[in-house]
Amino acid sequence: MNVLIVEDEVGLATEIAEYLTREHFLCETANTGLEASEKIAVNLYDFILLDLGLPDYDGFELLLEARAAEYNPGIIIITARGELNDRIKGLDTGADDYIAKPFSLAELHSRIQAIARRKFQVDNKEINAGEFIININSRKIYYNEKEVELTKKEFDLLLYLLINKNKTLTRIQLYEHIWGNSLEDQYDSNFIDVHIKNLRKKLSAHAPSDWIATVRGVGYQADI
Amino acid sequence: MLKLRYKLSLFNILSKLIFGLLFIILIPIILERINTLQTDNELIDKREQIIDLIALFGVDFFMEETRNDAFGSYNILKEEYISLERIYLDEYWNFIEVTQRIIDDEIIDYRVLNYSFLIDGEMFLLEIGKSLSSIHQSERNITAVIWVFLIVFIVFTSISDNSFATALVRPLEKITVKLKNTSSPEVYDMKPVGSSTAEFHALDKTLTELMKKINELFQKEKEITSNISHELLTPISVLRSKLENLLMLENISPEAAKKTEESLKTLHRLKVMVNSLLMIARVESRQYLKQDQFLISNLIIEVKEELEVLSEDKEIKITLNITADKELKKVNRVLLFTMFYNVLNNAIKFTPKGGNILIACGFYNEKYQVKIIDNGQGMNQEQSKNLFSRFRNKHQDTQKGTGIGLAISKTIADFHQIQIKVNSKPGEGTEFNFIFSA
Repeated sequence: MNVLIVEDEVGLATEIAEYLTREHFLCETANTGLEASEKIAVNLYDFILLDLGLPDYDGFELLLEARAAEYNPGIIIITARGELNDRIKGLDTGADDYIAKPFSLAELHSRIQAIARRKFQVDNKEINAGEFIININSRKIYYNEKEVELTKKEFDLLLYLLINKNKTLTRIQLYEHIWGNSLEDQYDSNFIDVHIKNLRKKLSAHAPSDWIATVRGVGYQADI
Repeated sequence: MLKLRYKLSLFNILSKLIFGLLFIILIPIILERINTLQTDNELIDKREQIIDLIALFGVDFFMEETRNDAFGSYNILKEEYISLERIYLDEYWNFIEVTQRIIDDEIIDYRVLNYSFLIDGEMFLLEIGKSLSSIHQSERNITAVIWVFLIVFIVFTSISDNSFATALVRPLEKITVKLKNTSSPEVYDMKPVGSSTAEFHALDKTLTELMKKINELFQKEKEITSNISHELLTPISVLRSKLENLLMLENISPEAAKKTEESLKTLHRLKVMVNSLLMIARVESRQYLKQDQFLISNLIIEVKEELEVLSEDKEIKITLNITADKELKKVNRVLLFTMFYNVLNNAIKFTPKGGNILIACGFYNEKYQVKIIDNGQGMNQEQSKNLFSRFRNKHQDTQKGTGIGLAISKTIADFHQIQIKVNSKPGEGTEFNFIFSA
């Protein structure tokens, strides 16, 4: 899939591109609004990552241009201004999602995947993990066609690990994915450890869950 | 507290009543004085007339008429009488007194002028009397007229005073209503109230200018927070992405991975600190809307469920005791969630394994309160005092959080006019008390 990264901070644009390229996306970057506007008009993109705070161009103007594009890209707004109005206005103007700096690249990836599932009806709605089958649409996990009961947060955690499979996710990345940014005080990696512990316990009752691996000193990883 | 116009009217009525009462008490005394003076003057006038008559016709003219040593005359209603008699006195009489006289078997009080005079060596006493009942009658009439006048006066002036006071303070009431309806300076009605009273006009103008100034400051702060947000969070974002990509490298050594993760943790702490301070600044400069309406029990249950994973892991029992519910109006749900969340989270952190936490919601001392009580390690006074400060004492355990969560809770509480009280004893536990104003 083609992704256009509109971001005036060159260092950040490069890193996003590097990460997404590893995830098999074709990435292009635009560091100015003008460049972005031209690229949106000429090329076809599946996704546009749009920083609203561009020095030379009104971010919302660019958003309208992207929305008007016939190829109907998925649009994710990136902003560091943290203004509540920006978020509402952005989603109203037609963005598919909104992500605040400093975000985790794994989180960005999972958001792109979620939009892709919704927008492009990507077929792989089922993921195999160990002896379990996870249905992303119905948000259920089965072992031998029997459902395994998980809480919403446990399922989110599992899905996040699976979408970023074979990559280590830090506790902070996991924490932010489940709880978002609203709860500022949380520096409790403990939270994630407890959830993972519970998740493993529920899965192990049916079949081995050792594919959810602990990466010492770093975090967790789904080895599939 | 009384409204200004009621105060004005009340004072008017009271002062008039006191004045009227004084008048009513004094009027009989004054009237009596005036009447006595008047009567006495009349009596003296009459004496002069009679003396003139005696000088003209001689005293025998009166005496012969009755063939007696005395002469008496009174009118039919016995309001007045005149008597003349021979008398022997050692001195001249000339005085006025109140005495009783029996006329036709009737005892009547009279004001009587006694006047003695000598004619041809003989002494005569002239008495001219005026009945007191006739004097009192006129007094009563006058008093009645004054009563009626006073009542009419008080009623009419009170009504007119009241309507004047109402009209006078109307602009002030309009300003008060305007202020009452202003939840934040942004929604203040800038339209002038319009008053011919200079003071109210000035007050309205000053308030409007004040609101404008506050709005400008809020706007400025909004821009500042927005810029700070951008300037600080963008570099953090760049760093974070670089570190995360570093962690993704296939040939990264476990040692390097561990250090990278630690850097990410530190960066996260920086991010939390920046976001927390920005959140406090945003709440304080009123950048959050208060538009939500919900039952407090829903929120409390949600907060409890959110944190149950942690409490269950520490085998802490959280008991919820809702004796009364409350519908919150014009609040920000996300902020209030954060407020309770931070405090409950704090309670779980500082309660040892197997401890107890009680969340009680209901009316205490006639005010709606939410209490979060733990039997954890508690705090000494010094710690309690610094509990809500943004940067706490240095020896705090950074592993347990940045410590800014409670400062955020306090800011949110202030924003919603919720009072937070903390009772804590070392070794016994801590009680957080959220007291709702209305």
